[in-house]
Amino acid sequence: MNIIETKNISYHYPDGSKALQKVNFKVEEGTKVALLGANGAGKSTLFLHFNGILKPTSGTVFVDGEEVKYDKKSLLRIRQKLGIVFQNPDDQLIAPTVKEDVAYGPLNIGLSNEEINDRVKESLKRVGMEGVEKKAPHQLSGGEKKKVAIAGILAMRPKIMVLDEPTSGLDPKGASQIMKLLYELNQGGITIVISTHDVDMVPLYASKVYIMSEGRLIKEGSPQEIFKDVTTVRDANLRLPRIAHLMEILDKKNELTFCKPPYPLTIGEARKRILEKV
Amino acid sequence: MFEDFLDRYAQSNAIRNVNTYYKVLFGIITMIVSLVSTSPVMPLIIFSLVSFVILFKAKIPVKFYLKFVTVPLTFASITFVFMAFWFGTGSYIYTLGVFNLGVTASGFNLGFLVFARMMGGFACLAFLGLTTPLPEIFSVLEDFKFPEELLEISMLMYRYVFVSIDEAIKMHHAQETRLGYSSFKKSYQSMGMLIANIFIRTWIIGEKSYVSMQSRCYDGTFNTMDDHDSIRSIRVRNLVVLALLESILSIGVFLTSSFRIF
Repeated sequence: MNIIETKNISYHYPDGSKALQKVNFKVEEGTKVALLGANGAGKSTLFLHFNGILKPTSGTVFVDGEEVKYDKKSLLRIRQKLGIVFQNPDDQLIAPTVKEDVAYGPLNIGLSNEEINDRVKESLKRVGMEGVEKKAPHQLSGGEKKKVAIAGILAMRPKIMVLDEPTSGLDPKGASQIMKLLYELNQGGITIVISTHDVDMVPLYASKVYIMSEGRLIKEGSPQEIFKDVTTVRDANLRLPRIAHLMEILDKKNELTFCKPPYPLTIGEARKRILEKV
Repeated sequence: MFEDFLDRYAQSNAIRNVNTYYKVLFGIITMIVSLVSTSPVMPLIIFSLVSFVILFKAKIPVKFYLKFVTVPLTFASITFVFMAFWFGTGSYIYTLGVFNLGVTASGFNLGFLVFARMMGGFACLAFLGLTTPLPEIFSVLEDFKFPEELLEISMLMYRYVFVSIDEAIKMHHAQETRLGYSSFKKSYQSMGMLIANIFIRTWIIGEKSYVSMQSRCYDGTFNTMDDHDSIRSIRVRNLVVLALLESILSIGVFLTSSFRIF
């Protein structure tokens, strides 16, 4: 079942510029989907349509089989089901302490204090941030802020979590911690959608990939299918994963052919192919 | 940064875990006693007393506290001088010799009283600011039925003051890198640009935060958790000590009420 589905949505800014054009974006329940695109391709704009922050100029959005309506009650329901983690945690963390920030969503839903306390504890534990409840957000590092922002969404127990550039601005270790966390959350049954331009990470992480360019979805498929089409990838101002690029150069320029296209996308895959040849 | 230190001490001082209500009650009542005093004696005693608590009970470093005190001290001194010269009536007890300026006894007394009250009040506020994290003060104020709107705005301000300071520091560094502060005139221009930019940045951050709040089901009211210390968990002994202390201070105010220097 498609847990998110947009049907032909277009979004025009008040000045007439077109941010999205006839976008059909589908996410199957329980999967991990990556939306690839250069800066300004429209990824964040698309995400804001999922929970009804933006209303499409034309077209409809379905979340969990239900058409998104824009009255207060429906929006409240949709936003509980679908949580968005924003790119800059400083935009998202608004309360004076970590605990109060994580409790912010559940409080808005109107849960009992007991329930909220449980959820805050559980969410912080899941992201590995127990024991910082009383700290203020500005006392945390970038990676820690990101984890708290994710905990704030987890506390609402969403079915779907949408993350805008989850690893941007983080150090390598912090980034891989976040990706590992997302993997675990997905194992726990949460459907995960991320936007990124980190092409090296995508094959490791996503089961399905969309490429977005200038407000349109120009390609969809598995990572292998996507990166097979080198021209489209490069036209969208993206590139091949480094390891695939190396294989391509070795193949075309040095005639050291470890394998024919499609080139391996991950280190593990490349290692296997090289060992087969040597 | 100064604000940063203030916040850090509030989070980790020797009396951080004393009941918040107790600290707020002590701070506010002592401040009121200092303000109602009609002679400068009690406010100055309160200033010394509270400073003593800050330095030796909360264990705030002397150097930092002295630096902190200079700010109100400067203002209070200026006020004192101006009032001594311009606010009194009667005959001069000291004349400057130019422009027919001089100090009158009533002006001097009034100025000194204001000076003392300012320092006494400041010490009480500094006590609250240095020993209690702001979020906890907010929750106590909420319990005391402080207007919700003001509290919400204060809470958001508390959060975004730090974000804005970070932004400002980054912009300042970027300007310095491009020699924006190399001369007096350029400094003024750069500072103006920085301030204008902060306003724009604030607006943008505000809009982004609003979107992220909406995503977490914001409905127009800023809900907060109400789990914190309770006023009931203050031990009776401590309450008695507080009551005794404030009574002694009040009696002091009464006894010294007619004290004047001139």
